[in-house]
Amino acid sequence: MQARKLMKRLAALGLSAGAWCLAMSATAAQGSASAAAQHTIRVLSVTGVDAASPEAAIWKKAPATQVSLQPAFPGHPAIKGVPVVERLTAQAVRVKDRLFLKLAWSDRTANTAIDDLARFADGAAVQFPINAKASTSPFMGDSENAVNVWYWRADGRIENLIANGYGGTSSSIPLPDLRSTAVRRESGWEVVISRHLRVKQQEGITLSGRKSVPVAFAAWDGDNRERDGLKAITLEWWQLRF
Amino acid sequence: MRQLAYVFDLNKCIGCHTCTMACKQLWTNRDGREYMYWNNVETRPGKGYPKNWEEKGGGFKNGVLQTDGKIPLIEAYGGVWKYNFEAALLEGKANQLVPHEKPTWGPNWDEDEGAGQFPNNHYFYLPRICNHCSNPACLAACPNKAIYKRPEDGLVVIDQERCRGYRYCVQACPYGKVYFNLQTQKSEKCIGCYPRVEKGVAPACVTQCSGKMRMVGYRDDKDGPIYKLVEQWKVALPLHPEHGTEPNVFYVPPINTTPAMFEEDGRLGDTPRIPIADLEALFGPGTRQALETLGREIQKRREAKPSGLTEILIGYTNKDRFKL
Repeated sequence: MQARKLMKRLAALGLSAGAWCLAMSATAAQGSASAAAQHTIRVLSVTGVDAASPEAAIWKKAPATQVSLQPAFPGHPAIKGVPVVERLTAQAVRVKDRLFLKLAWSDRTANTAIDDLARFADGAAVQFPINAKASTSPFMGDSENAVNVWYWRADGRIENLIANGYGGTSSSIPLPDLRSTAVRRESGWEVVISRHLRVKQQEGITLSGRKSVPVAFAAWDGDNRERDGLKAITLEWWQLRF
Repeated sequence: MRQLAYVFDLNKCIGCHTCTMACKQLWTNRDGREYMYWNNVETRPGKGYPKNWEEKGGGFKNGVLQTDGKIPLIEAYGGVWKYNFEAALLEGKANQLVPHEKPTWGPNWDEDEGAGQFPNNHYFYLPRICNHCSNPACLAACPNKAIYKRPEDGLVVIDQERCRGYRYCVQACPYGKVYFNLQTQKSEKCIGCYPRVEKGVAPACVTQCSGKMRMVGYRDDKDGPIYKLVEQWKVALPLHPEHGTEPNVFYVPPINTTPAMFEEDGRLGDTPRIPIADLEALFGPGTRQALETLGREIQKRREAKPSGLTEILIGYTNKDRFKL
């Protein structure tokens, strides 16, 4: 059964997080050998290039990886609905000591502002386990193992978050060095998020000196009132290979 | 947990909106709250504020949080109108004061419209604040645990540091009493004037009530007006108790705001002008008994006989009405 269909069915049945995790690990086990090989995003290392814009020439050279997204486990009874985004394209470029990640995905309507009470903005996020271990839960981490989330919103905000699991554990850590540039196409979004490889310990994951680091992705369609746990995510870690 | 609670005697509300203005001046006239009226007074029957809030959904059914609640758009509250004060009053360039846009809804938009045919028409006022529920749907709906009940007084508040503006609380409150601040991108609501309560001072809307129809105190204070009216006399009832949130604002239903209906021949009959069914729809199954008790005690008073209930409802002094 496809994970998306499974998730919808589980959501309809109102099954618990435990049941969901069991079901998902069974799904993941079936294709784990091939998945490990495929779930890699290769970082293109270059010098003297500006990769900040999604329209920069370097993105034509960087390997593009299709990342399949599934509905996240809602994690709270108030969160209902099925997210819209089904996949995104991920690319990564390293320019000296800075990592640039480009995400592109289809989105019919540009929701760029929360300008009325029932409006929600499109968004996307990249997540890393702070300990750089794939044993950390890809579902926002847990109390022992925090994750670092770079959360972009279509109203221009970008936020550096540290989370320790579901339910109000995320803290926003100011990090002016975390930057984003977005381009709206007719069919969807292209966003580049960038940051220095090294940050202070309390500011998130340090990426320098690593050959490979687990990474996960999420996307929100504001038109579908997606926010918080109503989102499309990668159900397991991918590897960002330098 | 001690629970602060309110009794609003609808027989004494004159619809002056002094409560609303007190709240607005103190809390909501700035910083993205301009459209909000944490305290509002609406005319019943009517669609209320926000428009059609009784149909917005939310609350609990059989103890289960309802997730079908709507988030009203800003037009359901009414705009933040700016007026041409300078042009009209100082510069003489305009003949009248007008808002910058055509208003289509606002607090108490249904002013004095009421229902029924003259001379048997009727209306009454319904002042509303956050109910500071014992089982708040807003709290249950927040995935971020940003909403909590203060242990010292049971007031329901939103931690502005934790709130991330997801608005599940706005969806979940069946009373339309949680507001989203577009400027701060966080949700806000009536805080029960807790900085005043902490100093033993009644909330601003209560203190300023010119009709002296608001009482405040703790649910478990057997010497206070709340316990006496809610538990002892059972004349103060929660609004829409069917939502399962256990509100802590209790209303004395209107019995005396309109005379009985006129008969065909012009005589004053004995049929209540406000249909009992309408009041039961608002205040639940205890309405009929509450009205009977009120009628009986008011009659005693008219006959100059002692009436303990009307003594409490008169609430001669602030000390009688506020017990903090």
